[in-house]
Amino acid sequence: MNYFALAALELGLLGLLSGIVGTLIVLRRRSFFAVALSHATFPGGVIFAILGLNLLFGQALFAVLLVLLMAALSRVRGQGQQVASGVVLSFGFALGTLLTGLNPGLGIPVEALLVGSPLSVTSTDVVVTAVVLVVALIVMLCFGRRILLHTFDPLGYSAAGYRSWPIELVVSGVIAAGVVAAMPAVGAILGVAILIGPAAAARLITPNVLWIAPIAALLGVASGIGGLWASRAFDIAAGGSVGLAAAAVFFLALAARTVVLTVQARRRAARSTSAAAPFESAVAAA
Amino acid sequence: MGLDIGFFEAFQLPFMAHALVTVIALSIAGGIVGLGISMRELEFISDGLVHAVFPGLVIGVAVGGTAGLLPGAVIAAILASLLFTVLGRRAAVGSDAAIAVVLTGLFSLGVVLVSRQSGYVSQLQELLFGRLLTVTTAQLWQIVIVALIAVIVMVFTWRRQIFRAFDPAGFEAAGFSALRTDLALTIATALLVVAGVQALGVLMVIALLTVPMAIARLLTRRMVLLVPIAIAVPLGVSVLGLWLALDLSVRVGAGVSAGALVVLLLVAVYLLVVGAGMVGGRITAARRTPSEGATA
Repeated sequence: MNYFALAALELGLLGLLSGIVGTLIVLRRRSFFAVALSHATFPGGVIFAILGLNLLFGQALFAVLLVLLMAALSRVRGQGQQVASGVVLSFGFALGTLLTGLNPGLGIPVEALLVGSPLSVTSTDVVVTAVVLVVALIVMLCFGRRILLHTFDPLGYSAAGYRSWPIELVVSGVIAAGVVAAMPAVGAILGVAILIGPAAAARLITPNVLWIAPIAALLGVASGIGGLWASRAFDIAAGGSVGLAAAAVFFLALAARTVVLTVQARRRAARSTSAAAPFESAVAAA
Repeated sequence: MGLDIGFFEAFQLPFMAHALVTVIALSIAGGIVGLGISMRELEFISDGLVHAVFPGLVIGVAVGGTAGLLPGAVIAAILASLLFTVLGRRAAVGSDAAIAVVLTGLFSLGVVLVSRQSGYVSQLQELLFGRLLTVTTAQLWQIVIVALIAVIVMVFTWRRQIFRAFDPAGFEAAGFSALRTDLALTIATALLVVAGVQALGVLMVIALLTVPMAIARLLTRRMVLLVPIAIAVPLGVSVLGLWLALDLSVRVGAGVSAGALVVLLLVAVYLLVVGAGMVGGRITAARRTPSEGATA
């Protein structure tokens, strides 16, 4: 398989993954967590590049370490999740930068680690993405109903006798796996673009929660492939192009929603004034 | 094992003196603006602003070379401030997802634009990581002035910022505009990002915005002391970091990023304070008392 087909396959799989991981992030408001997580994989990639090991495993290992650190820090009083994410994020980048500067001759692929390079994904990366997709699908088939209940009615969920922490753990695990799988293609900074953008757009398009995931998957595949095509057609960085395509899908959905809502509001206003007219004239006559 | 260059000797080197003035200006402005960010929990929005400034830098360089960096960054920062303030107030999508999409979208725009130019990878790295030790005199003036403007914006809206943070309902009832106050804070944050970005790079500015105030809030519960601590700690750490970076660079012969060293030291101080607080039991004691801060 040539590199372009491999890139298309990888981005298509990531688009499908957006249907699951992105939907979870958007509905459960875990965006900052996902962003911090994806950024934090950078030093892991640098360290494993220095050691000459597979980058993806370094990124996965560091993601786990830094998520644990974040969880510990966010329990410190008066600090909260946002501060913890900020600390972990700046720590990760500073460490990565320092190590890169100290090892100038090793050819650490800083650019690929940060903004991704879909055109140089390996078949291992694609296999990892496919496995993550299948596992995420199985998890959703097993726990989907419970996750849905916990997301929209956490009180009702605990009242029904379920415990919250297994759900939190499963969701965090699925999000982390998805983010790490996206790293080779879109990198540490843009990692969440392909995951969150399509799901956020799907959320705008449909009011029905069951439709969000399939629409997100569809939009995800479209923005992945579209971005790849644009990068070839206009000779621009593929990772950035995919990120831009995902954002464009979101803004198109936002614009469409605004137009539809305005038209509906106008129509309702017109209907209510025409309905009120006879009543008003009757009042005036009385 | 003595260091090759003495402490005071080091800062007499012109480029070290520039770096020193830069970190002084950034620490002071960071402490003042950081309180606003911390009180209102705007860390994610600051992250968004940091990424949003990136395409501004790229366009600025493309249009006017190095001289275009600052105008490009300022314009991008102010546009992004407007965008994020509006997005933060509309909860249609869940504002966090919207911020994430805008953040990655704008950053992608920067990457795409920079990839159209020659010397793509080296330019990208320079903008991402900054160069604290090669701040020119012109850049130094820009940094000081922009940081000063950020401080002025905060000082003029200070009482409103505090009122808004502690009693949002009362603030609106008293007839103040929440939108205007939020915008002032976001713009001050954005200007600080602009000031810091050339020295520290796009990504490590986040440390300057969040970590000093996080340290201050762990060390004291008195409002008056928060800002002085949040200025003093990064200042001390930066001076030490600069000196170490110079020393390491001379000894290893490799380009040690001074900005990265400063940020790592800052995070190390934070972790030490967290650890000390846990050992001393101050944090558990504080948990028992009712919360005084804006954020519980």
